[in-house]
Amino acid sequence: MIKSTGKASTIARTLMSRTGFSSSGIILIAILAVLPFIPPFNSEYILRWLVVGAFMAAQAVAFDLTAGFINVVNFGFAAILGVGAYTSAILANTGPHIIVQPGISPWIGIFIGAFASAFLGFILGFLTLRLRGLYAAIMAWFVGIALLGLARTLTPLTRGSLGMSPPSFFDTPSNMPYYYLALGMMITIYIVTKLVTTSHIGLAFKALGQNFDAARASGINPTFYRVFNFTLSCFFAGLLGGFYAHYFVSMTPKAIMHTSKSVETLAIAFIGGRGFLWGGIVVAFPFVFLLEYLRSALPQLPGIHIIIYGVLMILVMIYYPNGVAGFITELKKKLWRLRKPEKT
Amino acid sequence: MKENTEVLKTLGDSILEYIKRKPAVPGAIAVTVVIAIIIGIAGGPAQVVNAIVAGGMWALLATGLTMILGVMNVPNFFHGESFMVGAYTAYFIFTPIHLYLMDNPNKFLSTIAPFAGFFAAAVIGFILGSILEKLVFYPLRSKTKERWVMNSFLLTVGVSYILSNGVNLVLGPNFRGIPRYWDVPPIKFFTIRLTVDRLFAFFLAMVVLLLLWYFMGKTRTGRAIRAVSQDEAGAAMVGININNIHTLTFSLGTSMAAIAGAALLFMFQAYPTVGLRPLYYAWYVVMLVGLGNVSAAVVGGFIVAFLQTATQQFFGIEWGEVVPTVVMMIVLIVAPSGIFGSEVKGIQEQ
Repeated sequence: MIKSTGKASTIARTLMSRTGFSSSGIILIAILAVLPFIPPFNSEYILRWLVVGAFMAAQAVAFDLTAGFINVVNFGFAAILGVGAYTSAILANTGPHIIVQPGISPWIGIFIGAFASAFLGFILGFLTLRLRGLYAAIMAWFVGIALLGLARTLTPLTRGSLGMSPPSFFDTPSNMPYYYLALGMMITIYIVTKLVTTSHIGLAFKALGQNFDAARASGINPTFYRVFNFTLSCFFAGLLGGFYAHYFVSMTPKAIMHTSKSVETLAIAFIGGRGFLWGGIVVAFPFVFLLEYLRSALPQLPGIHIIIYGVLMILVMIYYPNGVAGFITELKKKLWRLRKPEKT
Repeated sequence: MKENTEVLKTLGDSILEYIKRKPAVPGAIAVTVVIAIIIGIAGGPAQVVNAIVAGGMWALLATGLTMILGVMNVPNFFHGESFMVGAYTAYFIFTPIHLYLMDNPNKFLSTIAPFAGFFAAAVIGFILGSILEKLVFYPLRSKTKERWVMNSFLLTVGVSYILSNGVNLVLGPNFRGIPRYWDVPPIKFFTIRLTVDRLFAFFLAMVVLLLLWYFMGKTRTGRAIRAVSQDEAGAAMVGININNIHTLTFSLGTSMAAIAGAALLFMFQAYPTVGLRPLYYAWYVVMLVGLGNVSAAVVGGFIVAFLQTATQQFFGIEWGEVVPTVVMMIVLIVAPSGIFGSEVKGIQEQ
């Protein structure tokens, strides 16, 4: 009896570690799941911040898959997210302002959008194949500029800078279903990326990120792994783009595809910690709360949140390159060392 | 007579040899000339002159960018913000003088008033560059050199957003511009009408580039900068203060961007995100000619300017960013180290 429960707990533990959940992670998710029912958070206004937090956290996880593992900073991330958003929005369109009116349900369109983004990620992976660090980042940046320019230029499809107003997912004005949808997406993205990165594929990613030539010399196929990484990361970006389109129900090329949006994601992912995946989740919620609070408390100071992002990012990059997740991991290790002598 | 033909022959041989070694260089120049002729036929010679003026400015911007890249290995993302700071400085220096001159006309003062703006922009740009270098890049450099290129790039991204949003916070998003620096009628040259401002902007860019060329080639400090860009450890060994050289290079690059911003104030009004397009064009030039290749950046500036003018001429102004970006993407795929060849060590590896 005792033996079998021991076995069950080891199985549970391996399952948890494979999918990337420590016990504190489970507690965190549980807290996030019940948060909308606890008083200060159950107003629609605050709930909206929670949705934005989950959305930003999911973005940071998808972004970290490329930035933290194969060490290529995808400056076109927001633009590719925008492609997912626009694809889904155009497919759901029934209004007269755009030349096509397919009227496909957002629930299907979001996946088509995600596949469109994944296809672009596939192309981007091939484009940056021969390029290292900085060159690849600049290539992704150029791709982002070109996509933003296209979204502005193809006015029959996107209405250009006027923006679109796609239909929403749910018929209710409540933010509750959106919050659980965003949270579900965040957890799914996290589990999938964690499963990928804890397998041999993740090992190959890390090897390619640390030393490209050595990894190639030891038999890792850079083409496959880099393209696979970009495709997966951009698929999630497209999925999140679809969520953006049908949650905020208004979008302009600048508000969604601009490089500054990529930089916001980058800041959250890097302050959270490169290569940890969950760092972005830990950082995104308090950050969104702090910044939304600042925005509502100090409306006379527009753009102060970007300045705070920038300053924090610079401080973290110079003085603590592992970010918040690295700090927590080290703290845990120290506590573990303190506990161990008592046990023996 | 015979000697002369000999010399000519060897010269021709060496040119042919160069073309064989680097076929992209004459190819790019030939394509640019063809584009220039097509623009000239389709849009009139005024378009060609405008492209040349813009080319001078992109050359100035790209030279600063590529110098910082070559000496410090910092890919500067806030070069556009230095441009913005220069534009604001020139505006705030020039406008009060201009208003004063409206009440008390003075021919001599109104001739030299713009120079005060340019000079102030250069100084403020220099100070900004040194402060940021000491505040941001020096700590990172003394901490770790690992993954320096990428980390410093991300730092400059952070600085860029802090600067543009900081200016937005302090001065607001309104546009501040001037119609012209010199209130004189445009110069007529055959059928081309050229304003003095444009002519002077081009002239200023060329003078600054010449001064830079003299500084880098003939002075002790310039030679020290080149030594650091070639071999940092060796330069340190012969007694060059690496930290001072880095700060100086960075400040010079920032200052050049600020001068460009000041000189183009009549074209680009000053507002917080004015630096975005100049930043794009400077990066196009640098990626086109190869990272850290200072002399080729001058040629690249003109190539990009013609490409930009041709795009606006044949595709329309809304395609102004798409077409050059796609061209640069193709260049990056075909020749990642640029058509003139890269001269920076250590960037490919990181």
